[in-house]
Amino acid sequence: MATHALTVDDATYQEVRDQRLLGFLFFLISDVIIFSSFIYGYIYLRSTAMAWPPPGIEPAALYMAGVNSIVLFGSGATMHYAMEFFKHGDKRKFVGYMIATIILGLAFLGGQAFEYFNLLHAGTTWPSSIYGAAFFTLTGLHGFHVFIGVIFLITVLIQAQRGTYTQQRYFGLTAGALYWHFVDVIWVALFSLLYVWK
Amino acid sequence: MDLDVVLRVIAFVGAVVVGLSALQSLIAEWPKKGLDDHVTKVMLALLALGCVIVIFVAFGIFPGIAGPTKG
Repeated sequence: MATHALTVDDATYQEVRDQRLLGFLFFLISDVIIFSSFIYGYIYLRSTAMAWPPPGIEPAALYMAGVNSIVLFGSGATMHYAMEFFKHGDKRKFVGYMIATIILGLAFLGGQAFEYFNLLHAGTTWPSSIYGAAFFTLTGLHGFHVFIGVIFLITVLIQAQRGTYTQQRYFGLTAGALYWHFVDVIWVALFSLLYVWK
Repeated sequence: MDLDVVLRVIAFVGAVVVGLSALQSLIAEWPKKGLDDHVTKVMLALLALGCVIVIFVAFGIFPGIAGPTKG
């Protein structure tokens, strides 16, 4: 695939790249619609509930989630720097920032697992209440996206190390960066809704 | 020291560092004209907004449903 991609002329590559980019953005928009549906469901359930969370249900810890959010947001910043260093031909810093992004992504997932453990231990489970169902569905869906994103980033890092991408042709990296930023931005909405909204 | 205070300090310091990085990246990205560059600008701006929200949480301005005494 890499060899084939490098044999097309620049004008053809640019055209194909633009089409791929548009297709990828449509994919992200479809994902936004999926999250929007769940978020709408959460807002509806919450606004019609007598008390939120229901009495006797332990809510998720706010400050732990704040720290975990910063871990994920930090990974967005390192991803951006990785892209910039790749564009400027600094492979060593690119690899360093990509690894940092992957580690921060895994740390976020670890933080989420820790949060789940605490909530389950406190009796807040998926079937225990509508709060638990909504919380675990939304954060679980997002966590799954982060997990896929980590695999995506590991894949493009390996491809970059193998020389699949050049300073002129790096669509896979662009897609990886856009996906990771998307995962970050969705978390801004989820953090505000699930933890901050009183 | 209370765990909540430690978490709030970490969240605040992290949010300031990441937020400033996002703003710096946004300023550097601003002159670029590609479609992916425009999307990246929106993403970085929202990332900075997320950091502002975390700063408000760290200061207790947004107490959240858990409340400042419940972690």
